[in-house]
Amino acid sequence: MTVIDRAGGNLPLGPVTVELEDIQATVLRYRPEPYYGTHVLLHVDDARAGREFLRTVTPHVDSAADWWQADKPWIALAISYSGLAALGLPEDSLHSFPEAFRVGMAARADLLLDYGVNDPKHWEPEFGNGVIHIAVSVFSDSADTWRSTMDTARRHYEGRPGLTVVGTQDFGAQPGDLNPLGYRDSIGQPAIEGSGVEPLPGQGPAIKAGEFILGYPGEVGVPLPAPQPDVLGRNGTYVGLRKYQSRVGAFNRFLQANARTDDERELLAAKLVGRWRSGAPLTLAPDRDDPALGADPLRNNDFSYAADPGGRQVPLGSHMRRMNPRDTKMALLVDVNIHRVIRRSTTFGAPYDPTALTQQDDETPRGLYFIFLSAKAMATLEFLQQEWINNGNFMSLGDERDPNVGLQEAGATFTIPREPVRRRVHGIETFNVLRGGEYFFLPSLSALSWLGKER
Amino acid sequence: MTTEVRGETRPEGDLTAEQKLARLRELFADAPEVGKKALENVLQKLTSQVSQALPPPVQSAGRVGSRLGKVSELTIIVPFAPGGAERLRTFLRLFGGNLAGADDVGSVHDMRFVFLDNDTRMLFATAYDGDWDAYIDDFATKIPDFLDIIDSAWEGWPGIRSPEAKDYLAKYQITAEGWYVANDLTVAETRRLRRIGEAVDEFLDKVGG
Repeated sequence: MTVIDRAGGNLPLGPVTVELEDIQATVLRYRPEPYYGTHVLLHVDDARAGREFLRTVTPHVDSAADWWQADKPWIALAISYSGLAALGLPEDSLHSFPEAFRVGMAARADLLLDYGVNDPKHWEPEFGNGVIHIAVSVFSDSADTWRSTMDTARRHYEGRPGLTVVGTQDFGAQPGDLNPLGYRDSIGQPAIEGSGVEPLPGQGPAIKAGEFILGYPGEVGVPLPAPQPDVLGRNGTYVGLRKYQSRVGAFNRFLQANARTDDERELLAAKLVGRWRSGAPLTLAPDRDDPALGADPLRNNDFSYAADPGGRQVPLGSHMRRMNPRDTKMALLVDVNIHRVIRRSTTFGAPYDPTALTQQDDETPRGLYFIFLSAKAMATLEFLQQEWINNGNFMSLGDERDPNVGLQEAGATFTIPREPVRRRVHGIETFNVLRGGEYFFLPSLSALSWLGKER
Repeated sequence: MTTEVRGETRPEGDLTAEQKLARLRELFADAPEVGKKALENVLQKLTSQVSQALPPPVQSAGRVGSRLGKVSELTIIVPFAPGGAERLRTFLRLFGGNLAGADDVGSVHDMRFVFLDNDTRMLFATAYDGDWDAYIDDFATKIPDFLDIIDSAWEGWPGIRSPEAKDYLAKYQITAEGWYVANDLTVAETRRLRRIGEAVDEFLDKVGG
């Protein structure tokens, strides 16, 4: 289902001032509902073979044109720094990329606070060592078109000498599109100025396109630094990928230990995230779930925190409020608009199982590729990891961390504001453990053609 | 603590306590009599302190500067632009030298502006929470004009919106050789504890009648 269909044909269309036909589809198309797909991770052994692959596959990579009503499956293609080098990109061009992108996510572990169980030394072997060069992703809204689109993509990489498949991950196809902890996710995307669609209710004023797409002014008024030459950088953006294993047993044990009834457990689960599992926000459904509200894109994000300054509905430390504080009065001077990312995360593995309680259940392959896009994805991830995920200071929460994606220390707590006194829940664990991560550049279609040229 | 993953900034971190003290005595051999005598007086106390106490948990505050607990120091010595000293002095005196507007930033413990060398250079020193550049982009969109009024007094200031602003600051920043704060709580934590203290007093007043 397209965004416009989900909105009952009622989407507020606006002017287009970005080059949608040159920008890759993933930047603007929302994840389909339902969704099916695959990520294929490739290694380029031979630069000529890699460029030839780009030349033949690029005509099948989709643009963001008419993204709000596009209803076909799409292919996306992203390239890591080691991939750009393996494709033979000239040295001066390689050097025009930001340092955090050049050295990669694993090398920035200390700035990302990826230590302990999240340390790159525990990552799956294909991640963090420059082996992954190209990521090809297929997104579709039906099992049939997913398979036929995968066949198209596969024809171009499979068996091609000089190209090796180093990883394949099917995703989606989850009952109700729920994430591995049982929540509807990817709600509340940023509105992008000049993208063709006006902000949906609750999205807030549109954010300057340059925050998400290279070549356009950002919130400061000027374009962000872009890789050179211009044909390579313009209309491209960066993608961060973080593969999380969801420890469903630990999560369920936490809910069992801290709530007595099913209703209480669901409320506690909602307090951690700020939304009920259906997606209904606690601001609009403070006491009981409202699945119809959760499913309605014109209503499920239509709120502010004006009437909830202290977090009695949506806790200040909940995942949703940390990642987008909206109009929360924070302890620090913050410009929320410059820390937003586009999310295109994909759930893989076994569906959420509310009866899973054991430590073995924690290692059942099941989790999330947290995929986010921004013209400054590396800087934004470092900021979020340091300041809003693994820190509570900006919300006057001391050392408390994000209950969903935070790396928890022993004795971690989560504060639920209440009348007359707050409740502080103990025993929060790292429910999502990092098992891999990479940065990619998501080139424009013209940049993909340029990269594929014989040199 | 998030700070524990950062490296030590002290280059002498590898020396043993005995080596550090030996080096100190060596240097004080040439010190004025008053200094030499003072060192001898406290040497025994120093020896036991240095060998027993854990090394101070002073960490790097990011690119430049030191951090103790959650509080970092930033010291800048920078040349004034022509007329910059007079402009900045006049601006600061609007508020009698007190920049209470900085309350909103929420991470600044203190700031001092000291004019040096006949108004040709300036020392700016502050204690603040966390890493120095974490929220600098927020300043660039939220309070760019106040920062540029102050910082345009400096020679060659590129403007807070410029991608070179961070490099400019790092260039003139000098890491303190010593850094101590008694209150190693953040400004936000301090304010929160004050609110809690008031609530507890109110509660005790009610209980105590």
